[in-house]
Parts: sequence; structure tokens; C-alpha cells
Amino acid sequence: MAVKVDPITLDIIENALKNARFEMDGVVVRISLSPVIREQHDEFPMICNERGQMIVGQFGSYIPSVVEKFQGDINEGDIFVWNDPYACKGSISHNNDWCVMMPIFHEGVHVGFSSIFGHMVDVGGSVPGSMPANARTIWEEGLRIPPVRIYSKGVLNEGVLDIMLNNTRTPDMNRADLMALIAGCRTASTRVKELCDRFGRETYMSACDMLLDRTREAMRVVIRKYIPEEPVSFTDYVDDDGLGNGPFRMTLTISRRGDIAVFDFTGTDGQAEGPINFHIHEGLCKLFFGVYMIMSFDPSVLFNEGFYDLFEIVLPEGSLLNPRFPAALSNRLNTHTRFFDCQAGALGKFVPQLSMAAGYGTSPHFIFSGHDKDNKYFQLMELLFGGVPGRPKGDGFDGHAWWPLFSATPIEYIENYYPVLVERYQPIQDSGGPGLHRGGAGIEKVYRVLEPGQVSIHDDREVVPPWGINGGLHGGTSSKWVIRAGSDEPTRIPSKIDNLKVKPGDRVVFKTAGSGGWGDPLDRPAATVARDVRYGLVSARQAEEGYGVLLTVENLADEKATEALRAKLKEERGAPPPFDFGFTPPERQAAE
Amino acid sequence: MRLGVDVGGTFTDLLLHDEKTNRTFQAKTPSTPEDQSIGVAAGVKLICEKAGISPSDIDLILHGTTVATNAVLEGKGSRVGLLVTEGFEYTLHLAKAWTPGPLFGWINMEKPDPLASLADTRGIPERMNARGEVVRELDLDVATRMIDDLCSSGIEALTISLMHSYANPAHERALREIVAARFPNIPVSLSSEILPEFREYDRAITTVMNDYVRPIMKRYLSRIEDRLKSDGVRARLHIVRSDGGLMSASAASERPVHTVLSGPAGGVTSTMMLSRRSGFSKLLAFDMGGTSTDVAVIIDGEATISRSTEVGMFPAKVPTLDVRSVGAGGGSIADVSELTGSLRVGPRSAGARPGPVSYGRGGTEPAVSDANVVLGYLPPVLLGGDMTLDVEGARAAVARVGAQLGLSPEDAAKGIIDIANEVMLGALRVITVQRGLDPREFGIVAFGGAGPLHANAMAELLGCYPVLVPTNPGVLCALGFLEADFRNEFVQTYIRSTVGLAPAEVWSRFDELEAKAQEWLIEQEVSKADASITFALDLRYEQQGFEVSVPVSADDVRKRGDLARTLADFHDIHERLYGVRFHVPVELVALRVVARGATPPVEEAKLASAGGDVKNAILETRPAYFNGAWVDTPHYDRAKLGAGARVEGPAIIRQYDTTTVLLPAHYAEIDPHGNILIWPVSKGA
Repeated sequence: MAVKVDPITLDIIENALKNARFEMDGVVVRISLSPVIREQHDEFPMICNERGQMIVGQFGSYIPSVVEKFQGDINEGDIFVWNDPYACKGSISHNNDWCVMMPIFHEGVHVGFSSIFGHMVDVGGSVPGSMPANARTIWEEGLRIPPVRIYSKGVLNEGVLDIMLNNTRTPDMNRADLMALIAGCRTASTRVKELCDRFGRETYMSACDMLLDRTREAMRVVIRKYIPEEPVSFTDYVDDDGLGNGPFRMTLTISRRGDIAVFDFTGTDGQAEGPINFHIHEGLCKLFFGVYMIMSFDPSVLFNEGFYDLFEIVLPEGSLLNPRFPAALSNRLNTHTRFFDCQAGALGKFVPQLSMAAGYGTSPHFIFSGHDKDNKYFQLMELLFGGVPGRPKGDGFDGHAWWPLFSATPIEYIENYYPVLVERYQPIQDSGGPGLHRGGAGIEKVYRVLEPGQVSIHDDREVVPPWGINGGLHGGTSSKWVIRAGSDEPTRIPSKIDNLKVKPGDRVVFKTAGSGGWGDPLDRPAATVARDVRYGLVSARQAEEGYGVLLTVENLADEKATEALRAKLKEERGAPPPFDFGFTPPERQAAE
Repeated sequence: MRLGVDVGGTFTDLLLHDEKTNRTFQAKTPSTPEDQSIGVAAGVKLICEKAGISPSDIDLILHGTTVATNAVLEGKGSRVGLLVTEGFEYTLHLAKAWTPGPLFGWINMEKPDPLASLADTRGIPERMNARGEVVRELDLDVATRMIDDLCSSGIEALTISLMHSYANPAHERALREIVAARFPNIPVSLSSEILPEFREYDRAITTVMNDYVRPIMKRYLSRIEDRLKSDGVRARLHIVRSDGGLMSASAASERPVHTVLSGPAGGVTSTMMLSRRSGFSKLLAFDMGGTSTDVAVIIDGEATISRSTEVGMFPAKVPTLDVRSVGAGGGSIADVSELTGSLRVGPRSAGARPGPVSYGRGGTEPAVSDANVVLGYLPPVLLGGDMTLDVEGARAAVARVGAQLGLSPEDAAKGIIDIANEVMLGALRVITVQRGLDPREFGIVAFGGAGPLHANAMAELLGCYPVLVPTNPGVLCALGFLEADFRNEFVQTYIRSTVGLAPAEVWSRFDELEAKAQEWLIEQEVSKADASITFALDLRYEQQGFEVSVPVSADDVRKRGDLARTLADFHDIHERLYGVRFHVPVELVALRVVARGATPPVEEAKLASAGGDVKNAILETRPAYFNGAWVDTPHYDRAKLGAGARVEGPAIIRQYDTTTVLLPAHYAEIDPHGNILIWPVSKGA
């Protein structure tokens, strides 16, 4: 049944699928109620072929294992839902992500799947937001839903929905957000059916295979060209697990055997007692490596599952990246991000195009819940941002999102709906690592709470700073403070904390980490350093110490004095080291 | 007499309509990018001569301008000072923290400097909360000192954008008074007046953009008024807004941000006009110029209005005709990528200077136009005889690209055109398929200098027929201006749950907005008979992030009853748009009042019907390359094709301002309005 598809038709189908995938985003974002999905776009769609292989999207496919569970009993009008990471081999990695999957039929023939998962504000468990910083097992992290039918041949399974909504603090929001995910899947289904009508079903299905092949071939070339046969290792650390353990080591070794790239995490610490374990699906691992290389070399290449057989992944069982049930998972983003940092470090050692510095290193969360004067429950959950890494292309961004398409919730929005007043929102001076391309700065956000309640915070890179690369220096670390009403004295609080009681007038100061610099800071144009000083992003002191730039009273570069100082600093230093960590791991005993 | 003036990148197009005689005249003069008003004044003179009228006979000038757009895109706007609430000085710098997708999208992200520099931004000690209550008193002493410092530093305009000013503009106004007293020459924009809506970044950037282009726009408009006055023109000057409406020149110099998409608006309004006249209710506007192509959708004679747009990387929350732009046009340059060996077309453009190789002005890299020359689609001498094309030069340049790909010059030229078409197709897909519209139900209107060369091929790819080539596709934008209405929106953000909301709160706010709208209509000198006002509420489910605009009838506003009917409409519209309705409280976000002043339609004389054989319209027969072979192809003179004439493809139809390619297996007929309609032969007849 392999139909030959001409290259123009193939291009058209590729574009149409890409457009359908963006349309899924559009539908979900417009319908959903929770700010996490809507304003911050914490939702991830994909469209798959009939075998469950992702053709477009940005996360790996878990569909075959779900289909296997139902022994192929997949019907038109069925819609499946689940959230248990252990029931889908880690394709989603904490209970907050609800995943929806819909088989697509064209004239009764099964032609593919559409699927989206999105972050629910609350799924029950021991704390509001369902991500207890001190959880020891997944039992504390809210309701676990195995893959079940929420629609069976077009009929809503009210019982399943009732159970799901009965186990959350925010049932109205979750209902709307779930319906938004379903509407997104239906949109994709409509578009795929239209493509089958337009080009013929066989053509469409062959085109999907050709799209997989095309991406595979591009990846094969990139792997052969840029992945060395000799093993390259890189190690980075997660601060702690919220229970006082840490730092946790993650080690990645990359090598190549023929066309196959091997990514081996042997040497990574064992699973944590606290909830920072990242139960990652092997396919997802492959996708992450593939996307990183595509984005660095040719972003126009469509990424999909075509290249999966070109990667071999080793995830030691019982480690931070392959924990045993029922290890707690909710706060896995710290580990998730360190995974990317190791990837950048290991790949960047040999290939300049792949050498990004380390970023703010997680997805910082701020959660404030309580009851207002009318005794109505409120729960604000906000994701914060920090320094985006210095890059071969240029400076990192100050207080920007490392994660794709996320954006900050408008402060005027937050203040309209929640009893908080934001007093300050600005980049932190000197937190961007010095470099030829400066690392992005972390941000400082000061919340004044207006009602009594409790605050939970998740962040990392408080102990282990984001490293710099190719001569760039490390960036600033994160910190959290509370200033009680009537006092001006800030008290340091941990970067992972749950249910801190707050009273009206208390202020929480949330500082995120910056990012590492890229390239030798002594080569950064002095005028650019001076501009950063005038903008308040770099202090005169760091201009001198980090960049070797001396300033006039008007904060302009003193070119002559700078030249002399830089010559002296370069001589003292010699060639810059490839990495600047700003951190020495504590002496540790072998874990085993 | 009404005169439409459209300033494009290469040419300034003018169209004059005499209502008494129902005659229209057109003229074209080279644009003068260094000062657009020079070209405009020259054009006005020229068209008066052509029409044999005195400049003082013109009553109205309707002008679409790219002055504001270009200033933003080229980063050549004014130096803007910005006053914000203390603690939020970095709002523009942080730019909502957004980075592009997909995963690792930041690796390739490019971010322009904010339109107001951090060095020119000051944090004022003051604060309102979301209800518009003062949380921190405005410190007038500190504010005055900051204003003195900033306003004497060389800024050309000042934006004041404070937290929650949409809910209470008192502090913004107080600051403006200080500036007015001490620096009366510095123009000031308040975010609470330019965009009284919540979301601090969007409000600030939109207001700053207004100031960024305001001094330039003001200078431009006063220059143009001076020039016209000295030439004896006594007409009122109106400027075309991004939403296709009109505003007076003085309003435009206060609110130039409303003109950021003024340029493409003309083509869209013309397509709306063609749709109403030709009876094709669904049309795609396809405006292919030298450097870019703009596309839009018209349904039932109306275009969609979007509440926000982007100018380069910057969002602008102003009502805009929903136009999608891509960087492919007749001047787009073709080259072969060293890394992958693939053929790429655009977004680099040869522009007006040096222009494509065939223009013989020193261009050396082949452009899309050159490919059209090589294939025989563009004749060696353009009609009117005022421009001879360098066919050999174009062929040599295209051949060089072909050699790198192992293709003949013909196949390389074909490839260049196919790739340009594919890029433009992407834009057409976004506005149709991606919005749930089937392009096969649409016709496509070709305009801009290059539109009619490519439109038949686009229709073949998308299945959108007929291809409609209007009488004067080169000056179509100017025609659209002639029928543009006056239009303005008055918006008030008012975020409240509709549960327990006293309807009087809504009606009284509508009254206030309506009063503003009436005042504006009077300022614009719109007569009572032409004026109309419509009402809408922006509603959403509580805490949803996007609003749905729900019309409220004027009757309901007068009756001052409850909101039940509007709420029911909201649920229906939400279900229609997104397929679901929820049983959660509905929230009011904003009230919207739109004022319109109607403009009488342009009455055109009907085209005389065809007499005799279409063969009489053949100018010459030349080889052209279709489906892999050279075919002797007749070239027709459009002026000699009367209503009802039918031409079989392949053919080239030539006229003063454009050239139409009619592909094999298609035919063209001339409709009673003089439009060329192209259909596939298989579609019958």
C-alpha cells in the first residue's frame, strides 16, 4: 500500500500537519481556565501516525504502550485520559500533567492519533498544587489515573470524570482545562481527516512515513558529523531533594558507534528520597537529544520519531532518572533541566554550535493559597523565569523563559484575581554570567500578600550555580526571603518549601538564578559592558572584575584604561578554561 | 471629488473619482522614501493634469501611509521617554519573558531593543491596585525631579504607563500636567487613553509605539498639508487606519499607532468592495508587491478585525484588519544554500534599487521577476513602452543559479517561481485551513504589481477559483481608500463577574463611551445621516484568558434591562467557536463602542461589451515556458478586451500597471465590471 508521494505534496502535508499542531495550541489556550496553561502555555500537543509514532509535536510518544494496555480495542469516538507516570513508562512525568489521547479514523479506517497533555493546577494530595516539596512517595502527590476511557465511542464516561474532579481542590478549572485538551485533540482529528480527503488516505499515510524517513536521514548526517566516537562525559548537580539530601550528581557520557549515538547516564546518583526523581521515557530522551541538535543546526527540519533508532539510551535502574515505584516525582523539573544542562555540556565540549551555557535550571514555582474574606478558596500558581544561557548567537536573555512559548502572567492579571500586590519585578544585577555573550540575569519578584494563607516555593540552582562555557563565567544563584509585616528584616527561606504560613502585609522575595556566560568576557566590547552598567544589569565592580572594563564618571567605557587592564588580566589568567562551574562538589562517599 | 493616495515601497498610486461624472482617473509616481510627501504632492499635481481639474476641486484626500510601520520596522523612530510605576522599570526589557518554540527555540531567538531605552525609563513612586484604589500616593516632588531630568535629556516624546491606570488614570493625568507645565513642547501619551485595557506589557508597548512614531507622523502630516496647500489643494486630509477605517489628519498625528497597518488596509477594503460588487461572497485578497505579499480573507463582503497585531517583533494592541504578510515578492532574491545545496527564495529582496537583474539598474542576483522574464511571462517591453527589460541579463543570472543545481535556466526559473509560490501558499493556508476555512470555497483577488503573474498558479495549488484580476490591480489599494468608512473604537476595561453585577453599571459605562464616540464623530465632521454606533461586551468564562466580543443591540442598550440575552449569546458564540460551553460564571472584561461614518460608494461606469473577435486584441505572439516546453503564446492587450470576451489559456494579458498569466487548461472571461475572471477548463463551460 506504499503510495509514492511527490515532494511538493509531501511539503504540503508537512506544513498542514505543523499548522494543525499550532491550531491545537490555539484552541487549548483559548478555552482553558488555568493561568498555567493559558498564560504560560504549559501544554504539549502532538499528532501521530496509526502506529502511534509522533509525526509532529514536541514530546515523545507513549501511545503504543497505551494501545497495548487496551489490546488494540481502540474505537472511533474513544478518548483516553491518564496521569500516572508509572503507568505510561514515564511519558508524562508527574501527576499534575493530565494526558488526553484520541484515535483518528477516516471513513472507518484508523489513520492516527492526536494527543495533548497539560498541567493541572491541582490534582489533590497533601498540599495545594499537588507538588509537596517533602513527599517521599507518589502516594502523597495526588490522584493517579491509569489510562482509562473518558469517552467511549463518543459517550462521556461521567463516572471517570466525577472521580477525577472529586480529587482536586480546583474542580471547575480542571474540568475546563480537560475539555480544552479534548477540544484540541478533536481539532487535530478534523484536520487529519481533511488531509485524507484532499490527498487520499493512502497518500496521507505514506507521507507520514516519508516524513519520518526524511527527519531520520537528516539526523543520521548530523550524528555522523558531530558526535565523536570517543566517549565524552559531563557532570552537573541538582541542589537538593527538599528533604536535606544533596547535591545529586548527574553524569552523561556520549559516544558513537557507526550511525548510532549512545547517551549513557551511568554514574548518575541513585534515586532521591524526596520528589526530584525524573522518571523519563526512553523515547522522550531521544527526542530531547534530537531536538537539541536540530535546533542548533537547522531549525527547519521537522522533528518527529523518525530518528529514534539512531539513539541508544542507558538509564540505570533505581537512579534519579529511572526511579523505582513508588518514588516521589512531583518536583522533577530540577532534574529534568539538569538533564538538558548535561546534554549541552557534553555535546558542547567538541562542537561550538552546540555549546550553550547553563540556564536558571528548573521551572521556579510560586504557589499562594488560602481563603479570602468571603471564605472563598483561592490558589495562585505562577511559574517564574530567570537567565536564559549565553549562546553562540549572542547574549542570553534576562528574566526570560528557558521553556518554549511560556510567558509571564501579567501582574495586572494576578492582582485582579488573587490577594497579592507585586511590589517589584526586575532583573538581578550581576546575576548574568560574564562572557563575550553575557548570560541572562535572574529576576527578583516581590509579592506582598493581602490575605492570610500559605506559600509554597520550588526552585533550584541555589547552591550549584549555572556554569559558563568557552571562557564564559558562571551566573548568579537563586535565593528566597520572607519579610514579615512591620519589619524590614529579610529572613532566608529554602528554595524548596511548602505551606509557609503568611499573614497580610508579609512579603515574599523570590530571586531566580541567572545563567552562564558564553566566550571570553575579556573580549566583550567595552561599550556593550558600559551599556549594561547604565541599564543597571551589571555593576561597575563586575565590569572591572569580570570584564576588565573601566568606566568614566558618565558610565562610558574608558577604552585606554580598559585595554591596559584587559592585557594584564589575560596574561595573569592565560587561556580561559572550557567551563566555569563556580562550585566544588563536596567529598562524597560512593553511594553504593 | 475624492482622491485616494497609497504610498508603497516603490510607487505612489493615486485614484481620483468624480462623483458628478462617475469618472475615475489614475496616476502613478515614484515613491520618495526620504520624504513620502514629495511623491504624494507630485502625484496630486499629475492626476489633476490628467483629469483636467484644478487642485481646489478635490474635496477629500484619503491617504494610506507606511510612515509609522517603516519607523518601527527600521528602528528609526523617535527617542521616547517612559514613566512607569517604581519597581516596574524593566517591563519592556523583560517583554513578558516570552521565548519562541519549539524546545530550545531560544537558541536562535533574536530580540530587538525596546522602543523606549532603559536609560530613558524612570520609576515613579506611586501605585494603584486592580480596583483603581491608591495603594501608594504619588510623590509629586520626586516625580517632578525625575520629569525634569528625563525631559531635558533630549527625548522627543514621553509615554506614561502606570500600573492599573485603566482602572484609575488619576496618577497618569497628574504626571501629564507636570510635564505640560514644564515641558509644553514634549508630546505625551497616556496608556489609559491609548489602550485602557489591563495587561501592563501590552498597554505599555502599544503606548510607547504611539510615541515612537508620533513626532515622525506629525512632521510628515504637516509637511504634506503644507505642500498641498501651496499647490492650491483645499481638500480635507484623512488617514486610513489599520482597521481600514478613516481618521482625520489631526487624530492621526495624536494616535499614529492606529496606522501601523494602514498600508495593506487598502487592498483589503478594495477586496471587500469587489466582493460586494461581483457577488463572490468569499474571496482571498492576494497582494503581491516587490518585497512582500499580504493576504487576507473576506467573507460576506467583510474582513475580520483582529484586536492585536505585531509590527516586527513588537505586539501592538490596536484594531487591525487581519492581514498576514510573508517575505516573498517579485523582488525576492533566489540563491542556493551552501550547506544543504537547496534552492531558497527570499526573504532578501532586491527592492526598488538595484531591483531585479532585468531592470538593468545594477542588480546581479536573480529575483522572482527575473524568473518570470526568463519563462516569457513578462514581456521584454512593458506596456506603455516606458521600460525595457534586460532579458539576456535575467537569463544569465538565473542560469548561474541553475548551474549550481544542475538545472537548465528554464527549470531553474520554474523552481524559483514554485518556491516563491509555496511560501505565499503558506500564508494563504494560515488564514484559511488553519482557521477552519476551506480555500476551495473562495475566489482569489490578484493585485499588487506581481499578483496577477502568480495568482493563477496559486489558484491551481489551492483550488480557489475564480482568479479575479480587477481593472487596475496596480492601484487597487487607492481604490479601497475611496470607499473606506470613518471608524473608531472606544473601549473601557471593566473586569467584574456578571453574577450579581447591576446592569446599570454596564449601561452607564456604555453611555460614557457613546458620548465619547459621538464627540469623535462630530470632530471628524461626519453627518448625522452617515453616522452609526454599535455596542459590544467582551466576555469570557471566569478566569479564561481570552475574551469573546458579543454584540449588544442598540435597543438593548436603550432598554437598560438585564444581561440575560447577551449572556445567552456568549454561550452560543463560545460553543460555535470552540465546540464547548461551560457552566461556570461569566465575566465581563471590557465594553466596546464602535463609531462609524459611512462613505458613499464609488459609482463606476459599466464596461462596454466586447465587439468582434478577441483575436483583434492580440498584440503579438511570443514563446513562453509551460509544463516543461516552450509554447507560442498570444499576448493580449487588456484594454481591447470588452465585457463578455473569452480568452483561452495559455495566454499573457498585458496592461499599463500589470501583467496577467493565464495558464494552460484555464480560460479567462471579462465580467461586466471589467474584471478578468480565470477558471479551470474542467470546471465546465
